[in-house]
Amino acid sequence: MSVAFRTIRELGADLRAGRLSPVALAEACLHRLDTIGGKLNAVVTLTRERALEQARRAEAELKAGRDRGPLHGIPYGAKDLLATSGGIPTTWGAAPFRDRCFTYDATVIRHLEEAGAVLVAKLAMVEFAGGMGYRQPNASFTGPGISPWSPDAWSGGSSSGSGSAVGAGLVPFAIGSETWGSILAPATLCSVTGLRPTYGRVSRHGAMALCWTLDKLGPLALTADDCGLVLDAIAGADPADATAAVRHYRYEDREPGRPFRFAVVRGTLEAAQPAVRETVGRALDTLRTLGSVEEIALPDLPYEAMTRVILWAEGASAVESLTESGAIAQLTAPEDRVTPYARDAILAKDYVRALRLRGVVAREIDRVLSRFDAIVGPSRAAVGPRLGEEFRSPIRGGAADVLGAIGNAAGLPSVGVPCGFTPEGLPIGLQFMGRAWDENIVLAAARAWQARTDFHRRRPPLA
Amino acid sequence: MAAIADEVELLWALIRQRYGARLDEAQLKIVRETLEGLARDVAALRGAKIPDDAEPAQPFIPFRAEP
Repeated sequence: MSVAFRTIRELGADLRAGRLSPVALAEACLHRLDTIGGKLNAVVTLTRERALEQARRAEAELKAGRDRGPLHGIPYGAKDLLATSGGIPTTWGAAPFRDRCFTYDATVIRHLEEAGAVLVAKLAMVEFAGGMGYRQPNASFTGPGISPWSPDAWSGGSSSGSGSAVGAGLVPFAIGSETWGSILAPATLCSVTGLRPTYGRVSRHGAMALCWTLDKLGPLALTADDCGLVLDAIAGADPADATAAVRHYRYEDREPGRPFRFAVVRGTLEAAQPAVRETVGRALDTLRTLGSVEEIALPDLPYEAMTRVILWAEGASAVESLTESGAIAQLTAPEDRVTPYARDAILAKDYVRALRLRGVVAREIDRVLSRFDAIVGPSRAAVGPRLGEEFRSPIRGGAADVLGAIGNAAGLPSVGVPCGFTPEGLPIGLQFMGRAWDENIVLAAARAWQARTDFHRRRPPLA
Repeated sequence: MAAIADEVELLWALIRQRYGARLDEAQLKIVRETLEGLARDVAALRGAKIPDDAEPAQPFIPFRAEP
C-alpha cells in the first residue's frame, strides 16, 4: 500500500484498522526522505533511530488500545530550528552550527511526542530562517530548496524542507516557522497547505529566535483539516515561553452553517504578478459561491516599513554575537555574510515608533476584520523564482506584501492553500487571514475552498 | 528627505568605522544598499501619524520566582 500523499485522517484510519503499522509507515517515510528528499535538498538529518523507537511504541500502544489521538503513529518532519535532544543536530540551516546539538526538545517537539507523532527528519531551511537578508535561493548549507513541481524552481523559504517534504509526499505533515512569509511562501511554492497561527498560540521555546515578537510556529500539511489536527496538538501555554497564550485551543472541524464573509484589500491583487493576479481573481469567483466577497480599503500606513524595522532591529540583537565575532563570514549566501552589518543603523527611537504604530495597526485591522471571516488574497505575490535567480523579498524590500506585513505584525492567523498553476506548472496560492485567535474560522474557510477545488490533490512530477 | 540623507551618511560612517576593515568593496556595496533601503523604511515610518498616547505593542511582564 502506498502511503505517500495520504492525509493524517486517512493514515490514522488505516493504522487503527490494522491495515498499516506505524513502523511500516515510518520506514516508508524514511525511505522517501532518503531518496527523493535528497534530490530536493529537503533533509538535514534523518532521525531514524528516534523514529523507529517512537513508531514501535505507537504500534504497541495502539494494539493495547491506548489511543493518543489523531497524530498517534503519524510521521512528521521538523524545521531544523527546533531543538531536539538525543544527539540529533539542530543546525538552523547554517554551516557554523552543522554539528551543534541541544540536550532538550523544543516544546513543540515534546507536544508532538506526547500526541504519539513520529519524528522522522529534521528538515532543511534557509540559514537563520532568512533573517540575514538573503536574496536568492542558495542560502543554506544544505543547498537551495527545490520545489517538487520543477527541478529548477525554488521551494520557497525559510521553511524550505517543510514545504518540499510535504509537497513531494515524503511526510504527511511538517512543522515550519514564520517571522514574515516563511510558512506561507513554501506552502505556496510547493502547493501544500500552511497554517500560520496567531502569535502566542504555539510556544516558541526551543525554537531559534529571529525576531521575538514576530516568530511563530505552525504546520504544513496536505489539507487545512490536517493543519487543524496538528495545531490542536501543539497549541497551548508554556511556562518556558511567556508569550505562549493561556487561551485554550481545540480544533473544531464543523462548518459554520452560514455563508462566509470575505474581504479583499484594494491593491493587493494589482500588486501581484499577472499569473498570480489572474489565478487568484478566478479563485475569488469560486469564493463567491461560498459567500460574499467585498473589496475594502485600508488606511494608508507604512505597513511593510513598520514590520521590516521591527524584524531588522530585533534580528540584529538576536544574531549580535555572530555579527560582532565575524562568524557570519561562514554563511552560504554571500549577502548573508554582510547584510547584518547595516542593522546598526536602526535607531532605538525608530524601533519604538514601529512598535507604537504596530499597536495602532493591530486595533485598526481588528476593527476591519470584525465584519468578516477572513481577508483573502495571494499567499505570495510572485511565482517561485528559478534556482540562481535573484529575487527581492518582502524582508529586503521591493516585493509588495501588505497582507504579510499586517498579518505578521498584528500576529494574525492565516491559512495558505493551493489555488492554481502558471502555464509553466509552478504553483500559486491563496490565503485566508482572520482575526486573532480565529484559527478555526480561517481553517473552516480553507476546508470549504478545498471541498470545492482539487488543487491540493494534484501531485508534482518530482514525487 | 534631506535630513534622512544626512543621517544615512552619518550612519554609513559609523558602520564603516565598526566593520569596514572586514569588508571588501563589493561587500561594502551590499551593506550600503541595505542601509539605503532601511533609510527609506525609516522615512516612511517617521511620516506616519501616531497618536501621542499610542504605547509600544510590547508588554513587559514583571517576574517573581514562585517558591
